[in-house]
Amino acid sequence: MASGTDVHAPSGATGSGPPPIPTRLGRWRAELGHEGAKGAVIAFVSTVVFLGVAAALVLTSDSWPKVQRQFLDPESFRESWPEVAGGFWLDVRMFLVAEVLILVFALGVAVIRSLRGPAFFPLRVLAVVYIDLFRGIPLLLVILLLGFGVPALEIDGVPRDPVFWGVTALVLSYSAYTAEVYRAGIESVNESQRASALSLGLTQWQALRYAILPQAVRNVVPALLNGLVSLQKDVALVSVLGIREAVREAEIYTARTFNYTSFIAATVLFLLASIPVARFTDWYSRRDRARRSQAML
Amino acid sequence: MKGTGEVPDPVADPIGEPLPDTLAEPLGEPLADPAGAPAGEPAAGVPRLVLDGVEKSFGPNRVLRGIDLSVSAHEVVCLIGPSGCGKSTILRCINLLERIDAGRIVFEGVDIAGPGVNANRVRRRMGIVFQAFNLFPHMTVLDNVTLGPRRAQHQSRREAEARAMELLERFGLADQAREYPDRLSGGQQQRAAIVRSLIGDPELLLLDEVTSALDPELVGEVLSVIRDLAHGGMTMVLATHEMGFARDVAGHIYFLHEGRVLESGPPEQLLRHPRQERTRQFLRRVIEAGRL
Repeated sequence: MASGTDVHAPSGATGSGPPPIPTRLGRWRAELGHEGAKGAVIAFVSTVVFLGVAAALVLTSDSWPKVQRQFLDPESFRESWPEVAGGFWLDVRMFLVAEVLILVFALGVAVIRSLRGPAFFPLRVLAVVYIDLFRGIPLLLVILLLGFGVPALEIDGVPRDPVFWGVTALVLSYSAYTAEVYRAGIESVNESQRASALSLGLTQWQALRYAILPQAVRNVVPALLNGLVSLQKDVALVSVLGIREAVREAEIYTARTFNYTSFIAATVLFLLASIPVARFTDWYSRRDRARRSQAML
Repeated sequence: MKGTGEVPDPVADPIGEPLPDTLAEPLGEPLADPAGAPAGEPAAGVPRLVLDGVEKSFGPNRVLRGIDLSVSAHEVVCLIGPSGCGKSTILRCINLLERIDAGRIVFEGVDIAGPGVNANRVRRRMGIVFQAFNLFPHMTVLDNVTLGPRRAQHQSRREAEARAMELLERFGLADQAREYPDRLSGGQQQRAAIVRSLIGDPELLLLDEVTSALDPELVGEVLSVIRDLAHGGMTMVLATHEMGFARDVAGHIYFLHEGRVLESGPPEQLLRHPRQERTRQFLRRVIEAGRL
């Protein structure tokens, strides 16, 4: 569209030059020319004005100095950082263990749910009941019930470590969702692929394993990554069990000093961990989409 | 294509078990009358496949209403008829991808639609090629072709790939062996699918409108492959819209209408002197569309 014949392009934006280089800037420029630079200016100015007004309101409010002291005190930030960061390391470890278990367990549940034939009926029912149950209970309740309830039973050989039960709660709750993500992936693979695999003499299980699942998982990688970002934050919920992870450490600091800056420290840590994953998810989905549309040609 | 594996294969032959042995496999109880061809059918030799009163419904929709047909060894049988007449369903039933509601499907003397039949074993002795190729998009052509031998027949990768390359070469696909299906033309994909169905040396090859999804200029290459297979003695059942091709390769043509065999006969007779008014109407439309 950025050819010399485009009479609607704003002056200065184009000229009768060489064909546009497909850089991001070039793309933006082309789109701006298309939608009208005027609109972009209005959007930009209104955003700046809105943020400016909001900032001004906060900064000029009477209680701002107090809030600033309590939440954004550099000294407290530095002081609370080591404990909060130490707690965050526990968050990271719990997250990693939970994520691996979720990806494996949920796949198992999804596979069971998509098995065919009357022989698997009881297993299928079990999978459906599990999914319905754990998607229906708030994660916080699962954590509280398992974390406080099971150790209270005092059964020999059953662990009482709150970290164990916290991670278990995360795995059970998230696997229910993740199993549904996998199932959507399995159902997105055309039935003809199954027929084709069976016709080669593969068993139902082999057809799933070699023909269906590789395609199914690839179809849902963006959704799985999205769940990963979500889990990264929800790990903090296990702090209700008294586990000394980042949020708990921040609370302890607050209780001791009546200064809330430790929460900002925890916020910064969670953001530092989740933003790269979120960006990666976006990048991956975009690349995947591009590859697919190319394959269609 | 030597087809049935009677000729000893220099390379390891996956289906190379002696015939009595394969029959001894628990496919099911052998029938008292293996050559149970319906009366009046032209059964030259012992039929390799017999369908006897096969019925199939999808919900309230009665797709097959009692199909009788018979295929001798090395015979090519074509199923023709308007869309929805049940051609594809017959092939899917023979491959046990659909369970039939009534009737018998007798393959090599065994009723494979009966109880206690190991469907995987039956399918290993047949090949089926689908209209939409159905190659696995996440695998290279070579992996597509060797999946069956490696996983269902537990051949080593080397063994399976050697045999696969030999076949791919014969069908002009050696250069595409390491490519993914979406890099291939439709004709190449369908030829790859045919190779995939042949690698187990099937005793029967089912072809379900294998040229219907192809661009017109690609139809020829696939048909010529099938013609070669026919000349090589492969036993085949084709559902097809290519009447000219059916006339050339078929030993026997069945015209299907609303889930029944309306008439059948040798190509010359059925295509030139159809007895039934419906057959005449159908053929007239085909001729008008320039397909015969």
